[in-house]
Amino acid sequence: MAVIAVLALVVSLTTPPQQAAGLTVEKATAKSNQQDGNEVIGGQPTRVTWEGRVAADEQISMLTLTFPEGTSLAEGASAKATVLDGLVRLEAVQDVQLDIQQAVITFEQPVASGLLLRVEIYNIALPAADGDYSIGGNYRNTTGEVVALTPSPPIAVISMTTVKAITLWLDDQPWVQSWNSVLFLRIFFNPQLIVASVPNLFDGWLHSLGLVLVGFPLAIPIGLGVSFLRMARLRIVRFISSIYVNIIRGTPLFLQIYIAFFGLPFLGISIDSYLLGILVLAMNSSAYLAEIFRAGIQSIHKGQFEASSSLGMNAVQTMFSVIIPQTVRRVIPTATSEFILLYKDTSLLAAVGVMEQMMFAKSMVASTGNMTPYIVAAGYYLLVTLPLTKIIASFERRLAAAEGSSTAPSSSKKRRRRLFAKPASDAPSEGVDADANPS
Amino acid sequence: MPTLREQPQAVVRIEQLHKYFGSLEVLKGVDMEVDRGEVVVILGPSGSGKSTLLRCINLLEKPTSGDIWFEDTRITDPATDINKIREHVGMVFQSFNLFPHLSAKKNVMLAQRKVLKRSKEEAERIAIEQLDKVGLSDRVDYMPAQLSGGQQQRVAIARALAMDPHVMLFDEATSALDPELVRGVLDVMRELARGGMTMIVVTHEMGFANEVADRAVFMDGGVIVEQGRPEDVFGNPTHERTRDFLGHIS
Repeated sequence: MAVIAVLALVVSLTTPPQQAAGLTVEKATAKSNQQDGNEVIGGQPTRVTWEGRVAADEQISMLTLTFPEGTSLAEGASAKATVLDGLVRLEAVQDVQLDIQQAVITFEQPVASGLLLRVEIYNIALPAADGDYSIGGNYRNTTGEVVALTPSPPIAVISMTTVKAITLWLDDQPWVQSWNSVLFLRIFFNPQLIVASVPNLFDGWLHSLGLVLVGFPLAIPIGLGVSFLRMARLRIVRFISSIYVNIIRGTPLFLQIYIAFFGLPFLGISIDSYLLGILVLAMNSSAYLAEIFRAGIQSIHKGQFEASSSLGMNAVQTMFSVIIPQTVRRVIPTATSEFILLYKDTSLLAAVGVMEQMMFAKSMVASTGNMTPYIVAAGYYLLVTLPLTKIIASFERRLAAAEGSSTAPSSSKKRRRRLFAKPASDAPSEGVDADANPS
Repeated sequence: MPTLREQPQAVVRIEQLHKYFGSLEVLKGVDMEVDRGEVVVILGPSGSGKSTLLRCINLLEKPTSGDIWFEDTRITDPATDINKIREHVGMVFQSFNLFPHLSAKKNVMLAQRKVLKRSKEEAERIAIEQLDKVGLSDRVDYMPAQLSGGQQQRVAIARALAMDPHVMLFDEATSALDPELVRGVLDVMRELARGGMTMIVVTHEMGFANEVADRAVFMDGGVIVEQGRPEDVFGNPTHERTRDFLGHIS
């Protein structure tokens, strides 16, 4: 078989069929079968239009168009051939036969040179796999000679995906049509676009998650370091670190992004925009985290420092073995809130062209003229922020239960019961150390 | 205890100690010596400066003036490595101050590992031993929040003892406890005193002071008003302020 195929190929290469000098293929197109878009989906009914012009000194009595392999005919498929002399239609077609491989058009009388042949095939489905497809074929002239046609200009076909299938199915549903007849619903909650946006914006979602999942962990050590500086013994260190924190917290992230993205190139520094986005987010978040950590560390009862000191532990040992482990549990809720804020703020990077959720949504909105992709983007943001909010709430409850008794100096049952009743007022009263705090 | 007592040597010596909080003078020139093996109980009304005095001994409060010696070291000398001194000065707080994120055993192990650089095995062995001594051998893996106040305070005592302190400071160790939990802690302290530990105890427990103390010190207004054998201070106070105070609490 293979040998024969190779031989056939060799033969066809060495002795090319007569070129279709007598019939110039001018165009071959397929009508878009997408609801919103202009592409041709394979495997779905479309209308193919083919045109060819008869050259000088040629007369054509029969035309055969052959379709690419994999072509199928949908219900109600038909072909129509027209012979045009300029704008005038000539009655020249005798018969048109259509099957899944070809359309054969015979003419009553030979079509003379200079005339345009137009063949339209309705409800034909081009191959399902995406690719460029040409329509070939041949013609017979009045001398009985059969001449091969030059392949038509390619028709780009995109493959049918699940999403497109669902979209097409939705197109036909009466409820979708009546839903979309309401302007508000069509513009903001277009079912077809919801289906199209979800997979499309998924990439954007991953990009945004990537920004925050790299940026935030980067902000943690910076924030911790800054929080230490904020509590440093040296006044000048405290001062400098407070400038850092106050400037970053006192200016919009949007402004910081602009300064970084438009300022650095002036200095001849070019950083990959995705990386720079991460750096700006990390820097911004570090200032907030620094204050969260500082508050967390300072909320640890001073008895913990005293107990550590009284055991001979130095400041570093105390910090890392006693204070930070306790601080971690306390700052997790606020730090998670900060994570949520930062995650939402990744959207600001859209303004400087970093690929993230908003950019994906924006470009979809621009190409469809519909707001639905923004709504889907909102859904993706909520997909992260809502569960995290829940987690924070449950963590705070657990924390309140775990720390309620351990930090209270008096753990009498009576007192403990009161603590649970009023969790807010758990402060281990310093006033009990009467001698340390003389009044 | 007696063997130590035969060669008295000051473990802590305080000379003309003054301490201000802002403009408020809390300690107005305190002199005190505590010998090895001695149990000193400090009494006095709130605000008399007794806790501040105790906290000055391991520099949790920085004296404004005056000197404090621990054994042969003048700890008020700025050049002194205070963490080195604190290793040998155990302290028990009114509010326990256990590390809430660590189990009882790990509370006792932490400073042994970090400060004394003991191996994990050794620190663990000593922790279990000390927790056993304070009657908590069945609670080694409990978290502080799962323990009663009395149990927490005993863990705190075990934690201090694991460092092999030369002196133990008790800052109102039972004041935050329910009455029924006080006894367990006092029992541990009594045992400790019997074992010859040098102790400085700020307390309101007269019975305990009377029974265990070698010396009672009565403070008021930032000075030591009166001191002596507990039976003398309690039974026959020479100062009116002492009488007033004792009259109020008994």
